[in-house]
Amino acid sequence: MATMPIERGKIREYAIATAADRPAYTEDPKAPVPPTFLATVVFWTPIGETLRSPAVLRACAGADVPADLGSLLSLEQEYVYHGPLPHAGETLHTAEKLRDVTVKRTRDGRAMIMVRFTVEFRDERGELRAECNYTSAYVQRERP
Amino acid sequence: MSAALVAGAVLPERTFGPVTMTDIVRYQGASGDMNPIHHDDEFARAAGFPAAISVGMLGAGWLAAYCTEHLGDQTVRRFRTRFSSVVYRGDRLTASAEVVRRFQQDTETRVELDIRLRKDDGSVVVSGSAEFAVT
Repeated sequence: MATMPIERGKIREYAIATAADRPAYTEDPKAPVPPTFLATVVFWTPIGETLRSPAVLRACAGADVPADLGSLLSLEQEYVYHGPLPHAGETLHTAEKLRDVTVKRTRDGRAMIMVRFTVEFRDERGELRAECNYTSAYVQRERP
Repeated sequence: MSAALVAGAVLPERTFGPVTMTDIVRYQGASGDMNPIHHDDEFARAAGFPAAISVGMLGAGWLAAYCTEHLGDQTVRRFRTRFSSVVYRGDRLTASAEVVRRFQQDTETRVELDIRLRKDDGSVVVSGSAEFAVT
């Protein structure tokens, strides 16, 4: 749970870094967030606490996959927006939820623990404004 | 513009890069993802890569810039990206998008697009799908 102010300068910086430096993002004091901007939530809270939850650690132990950063892959990210797009000047509140944990195999037969989790972004009235759905996986390393 | 956004319509392609270390570190600074595997060649080699690899979300961000340029900056409703191959410095990337359906939801008209970022050799770097409201 964290509080994330949506800052004009941060949107300007992010837009420039993604080749989206257009006036709607760089000049408007109430600039909207670019579609993947909420990735910057990591400046306010570490993301992925559910990747270290008991259910995930149990699945990793059961499949002999180390639950460490060197084994973690980001497979997919999805942003879903509700109502007007968040814009500079607003403040959002985040919460992270584990969706599911599944044991799979890679094409070359290594065990893989796939974890899906969601970070919710609510405004100051409690309205859900955005969700980011992450799909990540701990993958067994190649055997030497 | 919007009336032309029917199933089968394609957006004009846009190229990004060749990717430089400057592109990578600027995105890392802006996004807060400071994983050294993206800017430290030695660190990347220890992890089994020939050199530092670009950031998956930078590719997603470029696709987002490409989509908002054509569909507007206030109208994104959903934006999904899947990372399928790694990018190195020097790679040139091309963004493309195709409308797969036009539909009504929550009293507005939306389009769903298949979006893709590929290298010059045709390999797909990021693929995904996006929904934007249209008028």
